[in-house]
Amino acid sequence: MSSPVHSEIREAADSLTSKDDISLVDILSLAEASIHSMKTFIDSLDSKVYEEFRGIAEYIQNTKLEIGNLQANDLTSNHIPGAGDELNLVVSSTEEATTKIMECAESVLDADSSDPKAYKELVEARMMDIFEACSFQDLTGQRISKVVETLEHIETRVGRFAAAIGAGDNDAPANEKEAKRKKRKKDQILNGPAKDGEGVSQDDIDALLNS
Amino acid sequence: MAIDLSMPVLVVDDYKTMIRIIRNLLKQLGFSDVDDAADGTEALGKMRQKSYGLIISDWNMEPMTGYELLKEVRTDDGLARTPFIMVTAESKTENVIAAKKAGVNNYIVKPFNAATLKSKIDTVFGE
Repeated sequence: MSSPVHSEIREAADSLTSKDDISLVDILSLAEASIHSMKTFIDSLDSKVYEEFRGIAEYIQNTKLEIGNLQANDLTSNHIPGAGDELNLVVSSTEEATTKIMECAESVLDADSSDPKAYKELVEARMMDIFEACSFQDLTGQRISKVVETLEHIETRVGRFAAAIGAGDNDAPANEKEAKRKKRKKDQILNGPAKDGEGVSQDDIDALLNS
Repeated sequence: MAIDLSMPVLVVDDYKTMIRIIRNLLKQLGFSDVDDAADGTEALGKMRQKSYGLIISDWNMEPMTGYELLKEVRTDDGLARTPFIMVTAESKTENVIAAKKAGVNNYIVKPFNAATLKSKIDTVFGE
């Protein structure tokens, strides 16, 4: 490889070796050519390091921006607790309605049917109570919609953040509590209720038990 | 052989609502002596105090699951022969196979109805 700088040094060196009498000016010329050569090398080295650091700085800046966009404080102080509250209310309102409906059913089953008129009045009153109890469904539907909205909010931000920092998935549990929960789920075969179309039917279960 | 409707039945579930539903269904089927427990540990305690003719248990409970309860019951000489029906939302094949291996007598997937419960109890008692 022969750059102009190398040629300059070589010329200066050739000129020196061909001379019987080497002057200070010749030596200085060679030194100047050498320094020039080193300067170019150092300059190119500085530029590469600078580019690397600038890249790192930009990455840090972008990551900070994405962390800001994640709105982690808002998620942990508002969205997630809010979603938890909504779900707790769904659980309590469905439980309340179920209890009410069961009470109605139990009172009808236990009622004395020997007096048809009184029995009919009681059954009709309990049926109205059941209709009223069923109104929980409208509220729980709205509450669950709010939770779904929160999950979508989190999904969007976390997905964008993961893409921005090029995060890969790590199967390792986040902490000891999660590790224990995962182990228990595996050991105790806790899959939870199946989605529609998943899981086996009662007929399939009967067949499995009889096989 | 007719089912002895006076035999004590233990219903194990961590949801009071489900216990109430099963209690009502059992009452409609004619069973009069029904107790309940909120998990496997409480159930084992009750089973060691009183002799039950039938256990109807959920799977997913804390701290002791119905699956653990089933295995404990089957390895306890005094309880091993107690009929055990699992009533659960766990409907994966691996759950059914594991329960069968552990010695379950029947398996009902939630949600279920009175006819299914009756049919499985009848099957367990050879009706």
